[in-house]
Amino acid sequence: MTSPAEALPTWPLIATKHLELRKRRGLMITVAVMTIGPAVLILALRLAFHLFDPAHYGPAGDPDVFDSITNLTAEFGFIIAAVVGAAAGTTDLNDGVFRYLVITGRSRLALYLARIPAGLAILIPALAVAFSMVCLVTAYEGVPQPATVSVGNGISVPAQLDQAQLQTWVSAHPQQAAQAFPPSPVPGSGPGRPTKAEDITTEYTNYTAAEDAQLNPAANEMFKIGLWLALEVVIGFLVGLGLGALTGQRTLSTILLIGLEIIVTPILARVQIPYFLNGQRLDVGIAMDQLRPAALAPATGGGPGPGGLLFGGRGALQIPSMPTWAMISVIVGWIVVWSVIGAWRMMTRDA
Amino acid sequence: MTAGHRVTTITAMNAKHVLGLAPLAAVKNVPPGAGFHLGPGPVLLVLLVLGGIGFGVTRARRGRPSAQHDDEWGRREQPPPASPGASAPSGPAGPVSRAVLPGVMPAGDTGAPPARARREVSFERPAGGWAVETHGLTKRFGSNVAVNDVELRVPRGSAFGYLGPNGAGKTTLIRTLLGLTRANGGTTSLLGIPVPAERSKALAGVGAIVDEPRFHPHLTGRDNLRLLAAARGGDAARRIDPSLERVGLTERADHKVSSYSMGMRQRLGVASCLLGDPKLLILDEPMNGLDPAGMHQMREMIVSLADEGRTVMLSSHLLDEVERTCDAVAIVDRGRVIRQGPIDELIRGAGTASVRVDCADPARAARLVDEAGIAAGTSLTDAGLMVALPAGASRELVAEINRRLVAAGISVYGLEEVRASLEDWFLSVTTRLGEQP
Repeated sequence: MTSPAEALPTWPLIATKHLELRKRRGLMITVAVMTIGPAVLILALRLAFHLFDPAHYGPAGDPDVFDSITNLTAEFGFIIAAVVGAAAGTTDLNDGVFRYLVITGRSRLALYLARIPAGLAILIPALAVAFSMVCLVTAYEGVPQPATVSVGNGISVPAQLDQAQLQTWVSAHPQQAAQAFPPSPVPGSGPGRPTKAEDITTEYTNYTAAEDAQLNPAANEMFKIGLWLALEVVIGFLVGLGLGALTGQRTLSTILLIGLEIIVTPILARVQIPYFLNGQRLDVGIAMDQLRPAALAPATGGGPGPGGLLFGGRGALQIPSMPTWAMISVIVGWIVVWSVIGAWRMMTRDA
Repeated sequence: MTAGHRVTTITAMNAKHVLGLAPLAAVKNVPPGAGFHLGPGPVLLVLLVLGGIGFGVTRARRGRPSAQHDDEWGRREQPPPASPGASAPSGPAGPVSRAVLPGVMPAGDTGAPPARARREVSFERPAGGWAVETHGLTKRFGSNVAVNDVELRVPRGSAFGYLGPNGAGKTTLIRTLLGLTRANGGTTSLLGIPVPAERSKALAGVGAIVDEPRFHPHLTGRDNLRLLAAARGGDAARRIDPSLERVGLTERADHKVSSYSMGMRQRLGVASCLLGDPKLLILDEPMNGLDPAGMHQMREMIVSLADEGRTVMLSSHLLDEVERTCDAVAIVDRGRVIRQGPIDELIRGAGTASVRVDCADPARAARLVDEAGIAAGTSLTDAGLMVALPAGASRELVAEINRRLVAAGISVYGLEEVRASLEDWFLSVTTRLGEQP
């Protein structure tokens, strides 16, 4: 039996597994193109357009640009993480080196676990570079931040209010508040039925949503978004690693995960299937969308669009949200289950 | 000539054809504006292009043919022997080993290299256990029994050959020994340590090449060794440079493995085995894909490793290679070990020794020997008189034949003892097996 200490990968083993991945030139080019590439391309174009035609093109640090690049990075980040994970899970097998690693007497579990930090050490820095560029451009090349936020019916409300300050403003401006936060119909009521006045929590939610759309995210919001992107990449990598180790086939694993990301998840997010709602919620992409930081608008602007169904539709959930514990369980479950499957296959596979 | 002497005329290549063994060159090498709402079309196109870069580059690199081939072995790293023909003892002229009697000039050709003195191998159980020991080891793939109830004992400090035709289960046995695949039955120990119960401990003292040496082609030879040394741990990383130097790959160590010839990969495989300073080396078909000069160097390397006190177990279907390299041998056929023991003992047990007599009157000499009743038989050949010695005959019998011929007035120019080779013995064993119902 392998003792827990033997199952832990050593630093030299992690370093050499990192080297083994890093020296794959084609893979590294793909990683760079899919993580840093979109940010560089879009920001460069926007900066150039703004430079030559400022009347039609605003600064590159626009909130829409931030949201677009970040959403694209999330999509591509998951995909490239899956590609790297599948490569990490299969490269020793495909090159015929796995048996020679096993012959060294090193625990197979340690060989599997060493790939996790080795792969993430490639992905996370690339992601950090891309997202840092977006954040820096947003911070230093952004539009001047307005002092007010346009809420319902075009009513302007002072920006950067917390909930108590908003409540004070509502009390001081009852007529404007009634227009800014119109009461919504009571559930089950029909036309002409009484409506319920918005409570301050709902009003504050609407207010912050308008703020997120019109103002650049604050530093702490950027930090949250960065962590969310990192989690997206970690999940993609671990699932790709596990699936790659299970199948032993890099191409098959990659295709399956790209299909999950750009076809299956958007469909499950948009189409509510009767009697299968809980099944839809088991998709890790849906759970991740629900975990999306509030400051990051969905790729389709929160509503269904012509291009949203197959790609970029994530974030615009058309199915009821799940409880927080369920969302976290789904995310943790995907990580744990695929890691266990991959490690098990690695430990039992004929070398 | 009696049936017992026919073997001396069979060459290695002939034997391979007779046995249906694969030719020497058979290699198992098989050796990737305000909004940016993107629709599915362009994005999928980008994905396909990017995917193409990722897979295409990898595939193109993997599929790139090696720029160098086997004939590079030794040309850049070490000078080859003066004449490939003369220095290639694995050639067709190689299977008969001759022991020239003291005081008698060697007769006939002298081109064959002298036989290597084999180490004394004891098949008494050593104190620390056998280098390799199996009891009832069995491995099945469905209904096919690849390893069949194998009882194997490999003495420590010896060069041990595991000999059998292709498909006999040699590689499967090695994979089972090393824990690369699970056995269906039986027990195994390496260096006296049970496997798979204490697999990690056992493998710490083992270096192995299975099937063929495989490496990450996009990494250099040194980086590949770094990877394996990191997995092995301990002092393995410090042995990288000495190992590369020993196999003559220092100058090419920082080149990508994809540019290595098969021979260089074999040597890198041996270097990887040496990282753990192993007491036991298990080499699966180490001569595969090597040219004659490469085989010569590999043979010398194996012998030198055994000379250092390491146990070298090698599997092969090349009879003469095993005979030249190993001290003891096990013959495997259809997954079952049919014979094992020191090569010299096995060959002596086959009782196929004979003496070639170069004399003035071979016909009269034959009659004389037959009438004396001291030989198992005689036959006349172009090379002279062949006298078959009875099983277990001592060397004194050869002197007695000489005395009788000289006493009869027949001039004797030379006597040469002709021993059966491992190949001959293998043929006789497998023939007998074939005769069994």
